[in-house]
Amino acid sequence: MGLLSVAGVVAGYSAADEILKGVDLDVEAGEIVAIIGPNGAGKSTLLKTVAGLLRPKAGTIALGGQRIDGRPAREISTLGLAFVPQEANVFARMSVAENLEMGGYVDPRGAKHKIAALLERFPMLAEKRRQAARTLSGGQRQILAMAMALMVEPRILLLDEPSAGLSPVAAEQLFATIRAINREGVAIAMVEQNAHEALAIAHRAFILVDGRNSRSGAGAALAADPEVKRLFLGA
Amino acid sequence: MTEIAQLVLNGIIAGTILAVPAIGITAIYAVLRFPNFAVSSIATMGAFAGYVANVSFGLPAAAAILVGFLLAGLVGVVSDEIVLKPIRRNGLLAAAIASVALTLALENVVRFFFGNDLRSYDLPIARDWRFLGLRIGPQQVENLAIALIAMAAVFLFLAFTRMGKAMRAVADNPMLADIKGINADTVARIVNFAGMGLAGIGGMLIGLDTSIDPLTGFRAILSIFAAAVLGGLGSVPGAVVGALTIGIAEELSLLILAPPYRSAVGFVAILLVLTLRPRGILGERAY
Repeated sequence: MGLLSVAGVVAGYSAADEILKGVDLDVEAGEIVAIIGPNGAGKSTLLKTVAGLLRPKAGTIALGGQRIDGRPAREISTLGLAFVPQEANVFARMSVAENLEMGGYVDPRGAKHKIAALLERFPMLAEKRRQAARTLSGGQRQILAMAMALMVEPRILLLDEPSAGLSPVAAEQLFATIRAINREGVAIAMVEQNAHEALAIAHRAFILVDGRNSRSGAGAALAADPEVKRLFLGA
Repeated sequence: MTEIAQLVLNGIIAGTILAVPAIGITAIYAVLRFPNFAVSSIATMGAFAGYVANVSFGLPAAAAILVGFLLAGLVGVVSDEIVLKPIRRNGLLAAAIASVALTLALENVVRFFFGNDLRSYDLPIARDWRFLGLRIGPQQVENLAIALIAMAAVFLFLAFTRMGKAMRAVADNPMLADIKGINADTVARIVNFAGMGLAGIGGMLIGLDTSIDPLTGFRAILSIFAAAVLGGLGSVPGAVVGALTIGIAEELSLLILAPPYRSAVGFVAILLVLTLRPRGILGERAY
């Protein structure tokens, strides 16, 4: 039994549409799993469903053996799963320090310590701790969004296209940060457009096409697969 | 010249008082995204609750106003829970319209208990102070102080308390607030209590200056709403700037307009803002 196991999940934004048509996904403790696929394949929908923002119509989602499907997002966030949305993932009009505090809202005990530790770890955030989050660059904002998620000391971090819209340099730094977070034992499931980078750092990957699982396997193996190369890596 | 200075002074005092209910309506808007016009009758209710505490129970004005705050806040929470919250699910415009109906109903609740007569608070009689040719009443100074204390409390609450920050987070990004575990229903109840409580304080402050009747809040709602819109609906500092602007403009309008036309200032301000700068003077900043 993995840390996160998703089985046969069907979900969509309204009663009529099914974006996910029966998706499986599993993430073991401490690993990085990439979810890649063409636009509209349902990658972001999958993360939103796991995080509790969408209610699955069928299938099961379990975190550490405990069923979480159908539970509201704010309950799931107390169970060690932190979701970082792709856009609007910080409180734009609040300061960096306040954003961190809100990141740990569910568990205010020791928040001061955790904020101090995160500011030490990300000196850029310490420098801008009093600035409103809207003044940060795209890459800085992603770092802040991840730091906010770390406030709850999650077992697993769900990242929705963390490198979207970033310059290559900023994306490089971001992936380095993701790897560093993972080395501390936090499992990561991330949706990425940048399949190259994603497969390079992922232990395993799942490919979604049209709301269904297409391929899955070790990141390096998928990256070497000729068909995957042709479809997703532009080779 | 002295006349203008006197009008500006009166305007600053009126504007500071106006800022209190304007902060209430703008804070509720920031979290719930609809203008709650029940502010008008709930301000009246606060004024009457303070009246009962002051005249029937002999509390001084500054203590009676706390009673006004508590009752108005309570009516705000209960009426939202029973009337507006179910309607909000059908859209925010529906909720805004329902709040107009709610305010009419609440106004008549006041009328049922107190009738239509004008009533005055039991205040010590005091001579106006004079300086540099300007006049100011001790009660006006007390009202100004109460309004400033209420505003300072709001700013401290929003800047430093966990709930105040959670409120700003919901106003800023409701979906992310939900992910982070902030309970939007709790935040909504607290913003309703505090916002409507501020309206109650505003109603009583207006009454302390003149007298009260079931239409006290209704007569002020245009200026209150104009202040909130002018500063940027949803922005607390904006409501303060907007209220001072409206307060001073209303007083200065007396130079060229007969007093009954004073309320035109609010209309003109709303029209100008919506035409020229719909986001308001400060734009929307949650605090």
